[in-house]
Amino acid sequence: METSYLITLLKEISDIMAENKEKLIAMDGIVGDGDLGLTMTDGFKAAYDAVADGAVTDAGKLLFAAGKAMANKVPSTMGSLMATGLKQAGKDLKGKETLEDADIAQIFASYEAGVAKLGGAKVGDKTFIDGIHPAVESLKASLDAGDSLVDMAAKAAAAAEEGFKATTTMLAVHGRAATRGEASRSLEDPGAKVASLIMQAFEKSVQ
Amino acid sequence: MKKIINSPDNYIKEMLEGIYIAHEDDLTCVDGDLQVLVTKHKKEGKVGIVTGGGSGHLPLFLGYVGKGMIDGCAVGDVFQSPSVDQAIALTREADSGAGVLYIYGNYNGDIFTFRPAADEVEMEDDIETAEVLGADDVASAGPSAPGEKSTRRGVAGIFFVYKCAGAAADKMLSLDEVKRVAEKANNNVRTMGVALTPCTVPRVGKPSFEIEDDEMEIGMGIHGEPGIRRGKLEPADQIVDEMLEKIVADLPYENGDEVAVLVNGLGATPLDEQYIVTRRINQVLEEKGIKVYKYYVGEYATAIEMAGFSISLLKLDDELKECIDHPVDTPFFKQV
Repeated sequence: METSYLITLLKEISDIMAENKEKLIAMDGIVGDGDLGLTMTDGFKAAYDAVADGAVTDAGKLLFAAGKAMANKVPSTMGSLMATGLKQAGKDLKGKETLEDADIAQIFASYEAGVAKLGGAKVGDKTFIDGIHPAVESLKASLDAGDSLVDMAAKAAAAAEEGFKATTTMLAVHGRAATRGEASRSLEDPGAKVASLIMQAFEKSVQ
Repeated sequence: MKKIINSPDNYIKEMLEGIYIAHEDDLTCVDGDLQVLVTKHKKEGKVGIVTGGGSGHLPLFLGYVGKGMIDGCAVGDVFQSPSVDQAIALTREADSGAGVLYIYGNYNGDIFTFRPAADEVEMEDDIETAEVLGADDVASAGPSAPGEKSTRRGVAGIFFVYKCAGAAADKMLSLDEVKRVAEKANNNVRTMGVALTPCTVPRVGKPSFEIEDDEMEIGMGIHGEPGIRRGKLEPADQIVDEMLEKIVADLPYENGDEVAVLVNGLGATPLDEQYIVTRRINQVLEEKGIKVYKYYVGEYATAIEMAGFSISLLKLDDELKECIDHPVDTPFFKQV
């Protein structure tokens, strides 16, 4: 696959964040400061805009440039975390001019690793990681099973959505939600929702 | 607010201008940005050590930029992190081909500054980087499980991490080795502080918290973060005993151990009182059979004009002793 696919992927992510802007604002308004919908919409749009012209063909440099644009546009905690995921994917894919299915899976594994490294969250902490991690695991399983890219993406999106829904059983330990203690448990985590949206965008991008 | 300033908005800028005037032979700024300082005595081929964090803690952080210690520093506004771009510019300047080690305190704002900067220089400049996060404040959280990220704050004990890593780098060790020494120092240092009065961030204009005239707070952080016990002010010996009990038990420091001790004034506690504290520390450690290899007493990491002090212990082995003995020449700290 050409690396221009990554531009399609970023476009789908940017679009899905814009479509869900109000939903994210409402969710974040319950557990955080309510700006998540704006941060994600503005941030992923900046990421897409930075590389949309197709001038950069190195997959790593493209993803890194997208992450950098996002980091500069939305320097909040969640903005920085999402940008760092793109940048980590960029570091790990540096030098690639074409993409295999394994590289696509790597993007999301790197994304998770980058976010976890910067934010320090683990699986079960009720964060973005709880949405992305099941998707990354699903992608690995699909690679081993030899699934088509379309099937890989569909399964990963379903896994992320399940992961997101499971956050209603978790206690928040990071950010403002953590100050609510036990009362945080039944709430949906907006970060995990963002992960689910990213994987939905991935599913659309390969159709 | 009673401060010798011209205006709160110019506090950092004018402070830094004074620093460059007084230390013009030793310090310079990067790309005209006063908040990004590097040594004028860059040693080619040496691992670069850089740090940073909020202003308001002098001599921390910028005061340790110099020979035998660290190579550069990015400072933000009072108690605010520097920007990612400042950390990037700093790293590029501090690298001379052997890579760069970041040593900074375990605060989210600083993590969100230095990790993205590391990503950037690794991707775009192929500079190898590593990091060690100071997390020595035993009052700030419980110990972390092995392999887990510490949730403790970094406070004055980072001085020892700079000292040991700086010596290792000055001996031209590799990035991996300098990082190993820094981690060893970091893993063997513990600190606790006590505050008697709050501090006032100039642009805020009022004290960061309230405390009665006859009260103290044991375990308070260097930005006024809550401690572990607030109570009536006690005699110096009793305060020292309580702090040392927590520090010694934490590592733990044991009979037969050798340590370096840092008695650190938080900004408004006179040296007289710091030496009264030092006297008691020596009594207690002697009773416990812990031998003091070297004392450092004075202001090393302050919280603007907070009154109070902290005690840091660093457990030493032969390698760390050599690092402690290594000569240093920086604007705020010299050791021959």
